[in-house]
Amino acid sequence: MTRTTWLPIGGAFVSFIVVWKLVVVLSGLPPFILPAPETVAQRFVGAWFDGTIWPHFSTTMVEIALGFAVGVVLALAVGYGLARSDLFEKLASPYLVAAQAVPVLVLAPLLVLWFGNGLLSKVVICALIVFFPVAIATMVGFRSVDARLLELGRSLRATRRQVLMTLEIPAALPNIFGGMRVGVTLAVVGAIVGEWAGASSGLAVLINLARASLFDIPLMFATLVTIALVGIALYLVVVIAERRLVGAR
Amino acid sequence: MSGPGSIRLHDLSFGFPSRNGGTLPVLDGIDLEVPGGSIVALIGPNGCGKSTLLRVIAGLLPPASGEALLDDRPIAGPDPRIGLVFQEPRLLPWRSAAANITYPLELARWSPTRRAERLAALTELVGLDPAVATARPAELSGGTRQRVALARALALEPAVLLLDEPFSALDALSRERFDLELLRLWERAATTIVMVTHSIPEAIMIADRVVVLSPRPGRVVADIEVELPRPRTIDDLDDAAVSRTARLIRAHLGDPDVAPGSDQATLTPASVLA
Repeated sequence: MTRTTWLPIGGAFVSFIVVWKLVVVLSGLPPFILPAPETVAQRFVGAWFDGTIWPHFSTTMVEIALGFAVGVVLALAVGYGLARSDLFEKLASPYLVAAQAVPVLVLAPLLVLWFGNGLLSKVVICALIVFFPVAIATMVGFRSVDARLLELGRSLRATRRQVLMTLEIPAALPNIFGGMRVGVTLAVVGAIVGEWAGASSGLAVLINLARASLFDIPLMFATLVTIALVGIALYLVVVIAERRLVGAR
Repeated sequence: MSGPGSIRLHDLSFGFPSRNGGTLPVLDGIDLEVPGGSIVALIGPNGCGKSTLLRVIAGLLPPASGEALLDDRPIAGPDPRIGLVFQEPRLLPWRSAAANITYPLELARWSPTRRAERLAALTELVGLDPAVATARPAELSGGTRQRVALARALALEPAVLLLDEPFSALDALSRERFDLELLRLWERAATTIVMVTHSIPEAIMIADRVVVLSPRPGRVVADIEVELPRPRTIDDLDDAAVSRTARLIRAHLGDPDVAPGSDQATLTPASVLA
């Protein structure tokens, strides 16, 4: 990125901090309700260096990575099936929509009950929440393949596999990445909600600890900042992967 | 006398399924003979089935009845001996120009070394600036894109080149230039060419014979010999034979300003050829 894009980004960040500080000063809220930005920044740096955040952070990252990967792989397969078979779409879509319509917040305690309060239940919740947007985007992507390009492939006697690899996947990729951008931020939500429903480690557990037993509100905010940064970083990873694989067209 | 790449259509018919469950006839009893190495232009009103006829020859559509033969063997499906250029360049937007040209070679599992050699030969053959090889289709002009499409159609060294109004999106001047370049290319590559066109001057400029199709369902209404010597140049378009041939084509296209049946001497009805 060039200077002209960094400048407004930095400007927006600075204004956000200034507004935060102003709210703290003008409202006179006590630090255990709304700590000042510099207090949170100090606690954030401290908690990272004294090893308070790290174990929780790594737990959550593993949950997100596995859950996202499982969800995406399943969504790609099902999305392709939905695009290829009208019957499959008719049979499966009511269940897919129903699974999406039930809030994950409600499902999470049930899934923790079934799969335990360890890694497995979080992976299942993440995968479930990631699945829907990626599957739908994949279906739309494969349906958007230009019929004229498929005719070209046929005239060149492309095999089924060659059509998939050289025509369908490249054509569907921009849509799939659109779904993954949504999916990756939802994966963060899934992991946090899953931990909330029952876990012994993770960023959501740390928030609960900071709020209830430690009564360390700046630490709670520092953890919130960590979660937000995780979301932004993962989103950027998807965007960068998209730039490399989709490129300019 | 005919070399490789001869096409013979015998009593060929084709129809698309219509909405009410019947068949919409598109081609009706087409008889056509294209000797190997010759150039035939197909001309006819909109919707007369010219493009459909080209797709049947390309093996993309099976004839409903009759036969389509390539070198005396039935065309059973897409064939590497046939190269196809569509009305629009139809390039893969995510591939560079070079990767579009070598796409057929990749599908045919050529090694990267052989692909690179063939690419160099093809860029030279179609007169493509090697500097644009790495550019994406979106970065190329319409003419350059169609040049890339032409190189791709020639990649597997086909004996027959089928062109579906390939230069219709270009302006008149570029179109004239592309027609002449196509002729130079034909002199070197020695393929049979069947070209669908809307333009009478274009048909006369490039073809040995101009085949006129009727409105749908398309049938051959005239098969007109173009009596111009080869190699042709742009000045040949001023020849008296050109206006005579053009007049004849127009008469068969049903142009009310031209009396049908005039100048019968150069007319070769399809029934005689078949």
